[in-house]
Amino acid sequence: MRNALALVVVIVLAGLMMAGVSQLPPPGSPDGAVHRHVAAHYIDGGKEAAGAPNLVTAVLLNYRALDTYGEVVVIFAALLAVLAVGLAGHSRGPQRGADELPVSPVVDLVIRLLAPFIALFALFMILEGHVLPGGGFQGGVVLGALMILLGLVLGPRRLRRMLPTPALFWTRSVALLAFALVAVAGLALAGWLFALPEQYWLRELIIVGLELAIGIGAAFALVGFYLSLEADRHR
Amino acid sequence: MVILFAIGLYVVLTKQNLVKKIIGLNIMETAVFGLIVTSGMVTGGSPPLLGQGLEPPYASPIAHALVLTGIVVALSVTALALVLIIRVKAECGSIELDELQVDLQPLEPDQ
Repeated sequence: MRNALALVVVIVLAGLMMAGVSQLPPPGSPDGAVHRHVAAHYIDGGKEAAGAPNLVTAVLLNYRALDTYGEVVVIFAALLAVLAVGLAGHSRGPQRGADELPVSPVVDLVIRLLAPFIALFALFMILEGHVLPGGGFQGGVVLGALMILLGLVLGPRRLRRMLPTPALFWTRSVALLAFALVAVAGLALAGWLFALPEQYWLRELIIVGLELAIGIGAAFALVGFYLSLEADRHR
Repeated sequence: MVILFAIGLYVVLTKQNLVKKIIGLNIMETAVFGLIVTSGMVTGGSPPLLGQGLEPPYASPIAHALVLTGIVVALSVTALALVLIIRVKAECGSIELDELQVDLQPLEPDQ
Protein backbone atom coordinates (compact mmCIF):
# COMPACT_ATOMS: atom_id res chain seq x y z
CA MET A 1 0.00 0.00 0.00
CA ARG A 2 2.67 2.46 1.06
CA ASN A 3 4.86 1.37 -1.84
CA ALA A 4 2.02 1.91 -4.32
CA LEU A 5 1.42 5.39 -2.92
CA ALA A 6 5.13 6.20 -3.19
CA LEU A 7 5.15 4.90 -6.74
CA VAL A 8 2.27 7.20 -7.68
CA VAL A 9 3.99 10.20 -6.07
CA VAL A 10 7.24 9.40 -7.84
CA ILE A 11 5.56 8.95 -11.22
CA VAL A 12 3.66 12.26 -10.91
CA LEU A 13 6.85 14.07 -9.87
CA ALA A 14 8.83 12.43 -12.67
CA GLY A 15 6.17 13.54 -15.16
CA LEU A 16 6.43 17.13 -13.94
CA MET A 17 10.23 17.04 -14.09
CA MET A 18 10.15 15.46 -17.53
CA ALA A 19 7.97 18.36 -18.69
CA GLY A 20 10.48 20.81 -17.21
CA VAL A 21 13.53 19.08 -18.67
CA SER A 22 11.95 18.93 -22.11
CA GLN A 23 11.76 22.74 -22.06
CA LEU A 24 15.53 23.05 -21.55
CA PRO A 25 17.60 24.00 -24.61
CA PRO A 26 19.00 20.86 -26.25
CA PRO A 27 22.51 20.07 -25.01
CA GLY A 28 25.39 19.97 -27.44
CA SER A 29 24.83 23.20 -29.35
CA PRO A 30 27.84 25.55 -29.02
CA ASP A 31 25.50 28.60 -28.99
CA GLY A 32 23.63 27.53 -25.85
CA ALA A 33 23.30 29.89 -22.93
CA VAL A 34 25.80 27.83 -20.91
CA HIS A 35 28.52 28.63 -23.43
CA ARG A 36 27.85 32.28 -24.17
CA HIS A 37 28.20 34.44 -21.07
CA VAL A 38 30.90 33.87 -18.46
CA ALA A 39 32.01 30.57 -19.96
CA ALA A 40 33.20 32.29 -23.15
CA HIS A 41 34.99 34.90 -21.05
CA TYR A 42 36.69 32.19 -18.98
CA ILE A 43 37.85 30.38 -22.13
CA ASP A 44 39.25 33.62 -23.59
CA GLY A 45 41.22 34.82 -20.59
CA GLY A 46 41.16 32.00 -18.07
CA LYS A 47 44.66 30.73 -18.61
CA GLU A 48 46.35 34.08 -18.03
CA ALA A 49 43.99 35.23 -15.28
CA ALA A 50 44.09 32.09 -13.18
CA GLY A 51 47.46 30.57 -14.02
CA ALA A 52 45.93 27.27 -15.10
CA PRO A 53 45.43 26.05 -18.69
CA ASN A 54 42.95 23.48 -17.38
CA LEU A 55 39.94 25.77 -17.26
CA VAL A 56 38.04 23.61 -14.79
CA THR A 57 40.87 24.17 -12.34
CA ALA A 58 40.92 27.84 -13.25
CA VAL A 59 37.21 28.19 -12.46
CA LEU A 60 37.52 26.17 -9.25
CA LEU A 61 40.59 27.80 -7.78
CA ASN A 62 40.36 31.35 -9.03
CA TYR A 63 37.08 32.57 -10.52
CA ARG A 64 34.94 30.62 -8.06
CA ALA A 65 37.51 30.19 -5.31
CA LEU A 66 35.00 31.24 -2.65
CA ASP A 67 32.72 28.35 -3.69
CA THR A 68 35.64 25.95 -3.46
CA TYR A 69 36.57 27.40 -0.09
CA GLY A 70 33.04 26.64 1.06
CA GLU A 71 33.42 23.11 -0.29
CA VAL A 72 36.62 22.61 1.69
CA VAL A 73 34.83 23.93 4.76
CA VAL A 74 31.98 21.45 4.16
CA ILE A 75 34.28 18.44 3.95
CA PHE A 76 36.19 19.64 7.02
CA ALA A 77 32.96 20.17 8.95
CA ALA A 78 31.76 16.70 7.95
CA LEU A 79 35.05 15.27 9.20
CA LEU A 80 34.66 17.12 12.51
CA ALA A 81 31.10 15.84 12.89
CA VAL A 82 32.15 12.27 12.08
CA LEU A 83 34.95 12.44 14.61
CA ALA A 84 32.66 13.97 17.23
CA VAL A 85 30.05 11.23 16.75
CA GLY A 86 32.79 8.61 16.92
CA LEU A 87 34.32 10.10 20.08
CA ALA A 88 30.94 10.25 21.80
CA GLY A 89 30.67 6.50 21.32
CA HIS A 90 34.20 5.71 22.44
CA SER A 91 33.69 7.03 25.94
CA ARG A 92 31.14 4.31 26.60
CA GLY A 93 32.75 1.27 25.01
CA PRO A 94 36.48 1.89 24.94
CA GLN A 95 37.92 -1.50 24.01
CA ARG A 96 37.02 -3.87 21.23
CA GLY A 97 38.17 -7.39 20.52
CA ALA A 98 41.11 -8.13 18.22
CA ASP A 99 38.92 -10.01 15.78
CA GLU A 100 40.24 -8.52 12.57
CA LEU A 101 39.97 -10.97 9.70
CA PRO A 102 43.19 -11.39 7.69
CA VAL A 103 42.76 -10.52 4.01
CA SER A 104 43.53 -12.99 1.25
CA PRO A 105 47.28 -13.20 0.44
CA VAL A 106 46.55 -12.39 -3.21
CA VAL A 107 44.81 -9.12 -2.30
CA ASP A 108 47.57 -8.35 0.17
CA LEU A 109 50.37 -8.85 -2.40
CA VAL A 110 48.59 -6.99 -5.20
CA ILE A 111 47.85 -3.96 -3.04
CA ARG A 112 51.41 -3.88 -1.73
CA LEU A 113 52.77 -4.10 -5.28
CA LEU A 114 50.45 -1.44 -6.67
CA ALA A 115 50.74 1.03 -3.79
CA PRO A 116 53.79 2.96 -5.11
CA PHE A 117 52.23 3.35 -8.54
CA ILE A 118 48.91 4.51 -7.10
CA ALA A 119 50.78 7.04 -4.98
CA LEU A 120 52.72 8.25 -8.01
CA PHE A 121 49.53 8.62 -10.03
CA ALA A 122 47.87 10.56 -7.22
CA LEU A 123 50.83 12.92 -7.02
CA PHE A 124 50.81 13.34 -10.81
CA MET A 125 47.11 14.17 -10.77
CA ILE A 126 47.62 16.77 -8.05
CA LEU A 127 50.73 18.42 -9.47
CA GLU A 128 49.67 18.40 -13.14
CA GLY A 129 46.01 19.10 -12.37
CA HIS A 130 46.28 22.69 -13.58
CA VAL A 131 47.44 21.58 -17.06
CA LEU A 132 45.97 18.12 -17.68
CA PRO A 133 42.73 16.50 -16.50
CA GLY A 134 42.93 16.03 -12.76
CA GLY A 135 43.29 18.34 -9.83
CA GLY A 136 43.48 18.57 -6.10
CA PHE A 137 40.27 16.79 -5.17
CA GLN A 138 40.69 14.01 -7.72
CA GLY A 139 44.29 13.31 -6.79
CA GLY A 140 43.43 13.59 -3.11
CA VAL A 141 40.67 11.02 -3.47
CA VAL A 142 43.10 8.62 -5.20
CA LEU A 143 45.60 9.16 -2.38
CA GLY A 144 42.91 8.66 0.25
CA ALA A 145 41.72 5.47 -1.48
CA LEU A 146 45.31 4.22 -1.46
CA MET A 147 45.60 4.81 2.28
CA ILE A 148 42.26 3.08 2.88
CA LEU A 149 43.49 0.09 0.83
CA LEU A 150 46.64 -0.02 2.94
CA GLY A 151 44.44 0.19 6.03
CA LEU A 152 42.52 -2.85 4.79
CA VAL A 153 45.73 -4.81 4.19
CA LEU A 154 47.80 -3.78 7.19
CA GLY A 155 44.89 -3.36 9.58
CA PRO A 156 43.40 -0.03 10.59
CA ARG A 157 45.31 0.07 13.86
CA ARG A 158 48.67 -0.10 12.08
CA LEU A 159 47.51 2.63 9.70
CA ARG A 160 46.47 4.71 12.68
CA ARG A 161 49.91 4.25 14.26
CA MET A 162 51.59 5.34 11.02
CA LEU A 163 49.71 8.66 11.22
CA PRO A 164 50.68 10.44 14.45
CA THR A 165 48.07 12.78 15.88
CA PRO A 166 49.94 16.10 15.34
CA ALA A 167 50.48 15.19 11.68
CA LEU A 168 46.77 14.38 11.34
CA PHE A 169 45.91 17.75 12.84
CA TRP A 170 47.96 19.62 10.25
CA THR A 171 47.15 17.47 7.23
CA ARG A 172 43.43 17.70 7.88
CA SER A 173 43.41 21.47 8.20
CA VAL A 174 46.05 22.32 5.58
CA ALA A 175 43.50 22.89 2.78
CA LEU A 176 41.50 25.36 4.87
CA LEU A 177 44.64 27.17 6.01
CA ALA A 178 46.15 27.38 2.52
CA PHE A 179 42.91 28.78 1.10
CA ALA A 180 42.67 31.38 3.83
CA LEU A 181 46.31 32.31 3.29
CA VAL A 182 45.85 32.79 -0.47
CA ALA A 183 42.68 34.80 0.07
CA VAL A 184 44.25 37.13 2.64
CA ALA A 185 47.47 37.45 0.63
CA GLY A 186 45.43 38.51 -2.38
CA LEU A 187 43.59 41.05 -0.24
CA ALA A 188 46.85 42.46 1.08
CA LEU A 189 48.70 42.55 -2.26
CA ALA A 190 46.06 43.54 -4.79
CA GLY A 191 43.08 44.70 -2.80
CA TRP A 192 40.57 41.88 -3.21
CA LEU A 193 40.20 38.33 -1.94
CA PHE A 194 41.94 35.61 -3.99
CA ALA A 195 43.75 38.14 -6.17
CA LEU A 196 46.81 36.60 -7.80
CA PRO A 197 50.14 38.39 -8.43
CA GLU A 198 51.11 39.77 -11.83
CA GLN A 199 53.75 37.23 -12.85
CA TYR A 200 52.41 34.14 -14.57
CA TRP A 201 54.89 31.73 -12.97
CA LEU A 202 53.91 33.00 -9.52
CA ARG A 203 50.23 32.47 -10.33
CA GLU A 204 50.99 28.94 -11.48
CA LEU A 205 52.99 28.29 -8.31
CA ILE A 206 50.13 29.47 -6.09
CA ILE A 207 47.63 27.29 -7.98
CA VAL A 208 49.87 24.22 -7.67
CA GLY A 209 50.33 24.92 -3.96
CA LEU A 210 46.58 25.19 -3.48
CA GLU A 211 46.05 21.95 -5.39
CA LEU A 212 48.59 20.20 -3.21
CA ALA A 213 46.94 21.50 -0.04
CA ILE A 214 43.47 20.48 -1.27
CA GLY A 215 44.75 17.04 -2.28
CA ILE A 216 46.31 16.37 1.10
CA GLY A 217 43.28 17.73 2.91
CA ALA A 218 40.85 15.60 0.88
CA ALA A 219 42.97 12.46 1.28
CA PHE A 220 43.22 12.78 5.04
CA ALA A 221 39.56 13.66 5.36
CA LEU A 222 38.77 10.37 3.58
CA VAL A 223 41.15 8.49 5.85
CA GLY A 224 39.51 10.15 8.83
CA PHE A 225 36.08 8.97 7.64
CA TYR A 226 37.46 5.46 7.13
CA LEU A 227 39.21 5.19 10.48
CA SER A 228 36.16 6.51 12.32
CA LEU A 229 33.80 4.10 10.55
CA GLU A 230 36.23 1.25 11.12
CA ALA A 231 36.54 2.04 14.83
CA ASP A 232 32.76 2.24 15.18
CA ARG A 233 32.27 -1.06 13.38
CA HIS A 234 34.09 -2.97 16.10
CA ARG A 235 31.95 -1.77 18.95
CA MET B 1 18.31 11.61 -15.88
CA VAL B 2 14.72 12.13 -14.75
CA ILE B 3 14.24 8.36 -14.67
CA LEU B 4 17.41 7.92 -12.62
CA PHE B 5 16.21 10.63 -10.24
CA ALA B 6 12.80 8.95 -9.97
CA ILE B 7 14.43 5.60 -9.15
CA GLY B 8 16.47 7.25 -6.40
CA LEU B 9 13.42 9.03 -4.99
CA TYR B 10 11.42 5.79 -5.02
CA VAL B 11 14.20 4.03 -3.10
CA VAL B 12 14.36 6.83 -0.53
CA LEU B 13 10.59 6.80 -0.05
CA THR B 14 9.94 3.05 0.13
CA LYS B 15 12.99 1.33 1.63
CA GLN B 16 13.00 1.00 5.41
CA ASN B 17 16.71 0.21 5.59
CA LEU B 18 18.66 3.40 6.33
CA VAL B 19 21.69 2.34 4.26
CA LYS B 20 19.41 1.72 1.28
CA LYS B 21 17.94 5.19 1.77
CA ILE B 22 21.47 6.63 1.56
CA ILE B 23 22.06 4.64 -1.63
CA GLY B 24 18.84 6.11 -3.04
CA LEU B 25 20.01 9.60 -2.12
CA ASN B 26 23.26 8.95 -3.97
CA ILE B 27 21.37 7.78 -7.05
CA MET B 28 19.39 11.04 -6.99
CA GLU B 29 22.59 13.05 -6.66
CA THR B 30 24.13 11.20 -9.61
CA ALA B 31 21.10 12.09 -11.72
CA VAL B 32 21.46 15.79 -10.91
CA PHE B 33 25.20 15.77 -11.61
CA GLY B 34 24.62 14.01 -14.92
CA LEU B 35 22.03 16.59 -15.94
CA ILE B 36 24.30 19.54 -15.11
CA VAL B 37 27.35 18.05 -16.84
CA THR B 38 25.30 17.25 -19.95
CA SER B 39 24.14 20.85 -20.15
CA GLY B 40 27.77 21.95 -20.49
CA MET B 41 28.47 19.56 -23.35
CA VAL B 42 29.21 20.64 -26.93
CA THR B 43 28.69 18.19 -29.79
CA GLY B 44 32.09 17.48 -31.32
CA GLY B 45 33.75 19.79 -28.80
CA SER B 46 36.87 19.22 -26.75
CA PRO B 47 37.61 19.33 -23.02
CA PRO B 48 38.45 22.83 -21.75
CA LEU B 49 42.21 22.30 -21.61
CA LEU B 50 44.19 25.06 -23.29
CA GLY B 51 47.61 24.52 -24.82
CA GLN B 52 47.10 20.82 -25.58
CA GLY B 53 46.43 21.23 -29.30
CA LEU B 54 42.66 20.85 -28.86
CA GLU B 55 40.28 22.64 -31.19
CA PRO B 56 38.16 25.59 -29.94
CA PRO B 57 34.58 24.50 -29.38
CA TYR B 58 35.27 23.78 -25.70
CA ALA B 59 32.85 22.23 -23.25
CA SER B 60 31.71 24.67 -20.59
CA PRO B 61 34.14 24.55 -17.65
CA ILE B 62 31.58 26.03 -15.27
CA ALA B 63 29.32 22.98 -15.34
CA HIS B 64 32.30 20.74 -14.60
CA ALA B 65 33.47 22.88 -11.69
CA LEU B 66 29.97 23.05 -10.17
CA VAL B 67 29.53 19.29 -10.39
CA LEU B 68 32.97 18.68 -8.86
CA THR B 69 31.94 20.81 -5.90
CA GLY B 70 28.64 18.96 -5.71
CA ILE B 71 30.33 15.55 -5.68
CA VAL B 72 32.54 16.52 -2.77
CA VAL B 73 29.57 17.80 -0.78
CA ALA B 74 27.63 14.60 -1.59
CA LEU B 75 30.57 12.55 -0.35
CA SER B 76 30.68 14.49 2.92
CA VAL B 77 26.94 14.06 3.45
CA THR B 78 27.19 10.33 2.76
CA ALA B 79 30.07 9.85 5.19
CA LEU B 80 28.28 11.74 7.94
CA ALA B 81 25.05 9.80 7.33
CA LEU B 82 26.87 6.46 7.48
CA VAL B 83 28.50 7.34 10.79
CA LEU B 84 25.12 8.40 12.18
CA ILE B 85 23.62 5.11 10.98
CA ILE B 86 26.34 3.20 12.81
CA ARG B 87 25.45 5.12 15.97
CA VAL B 88 21.75 4.34 15.46
CA LYS B 89 22.66 0.67 15.13
CA ALA B 90 24.75 0.84 18.30
CA GLU B 91 22.06 2.67 20.30
CA CYS B 92 18.89 0.98 19.03
CA GLY B 93 20.13 -2.32 17.66
CA SER B 94 18.62 -1.94 14.19
CA ILE B 95 18.81 0.15 11.04
CA GLU B 96 15.34 -0.77 9.78
CA LEU B 97 13.04 2.21 10.27
CA ASP B 98 9.88 0.17 11.04
CA GLU B 99 11.74 -1.82 13.72
CA LEU B 100 13.13 1.39 15.17
CA GLN B 101 9.67 2.81 15.72
CA VAL B 102 8.62 -0.29 17.65
CA ASP B 103 11.70 -0.01 19.83
CA LEU B 104 11.07 3.63 20.60
CA GLN B 105 7.45 3.20 21.73
CA PRO B 106 8.11 2.27 25.41
CA LEU B 107 10.20 5.41 25.90
CA GLU B 108 7.33 7.82 25.37
CA PRO B 109 5.26 7.31 28.56
CA ASP B 110 8.26 8.24 30.72
CA GLN B 111 8.39 11.80 29.41
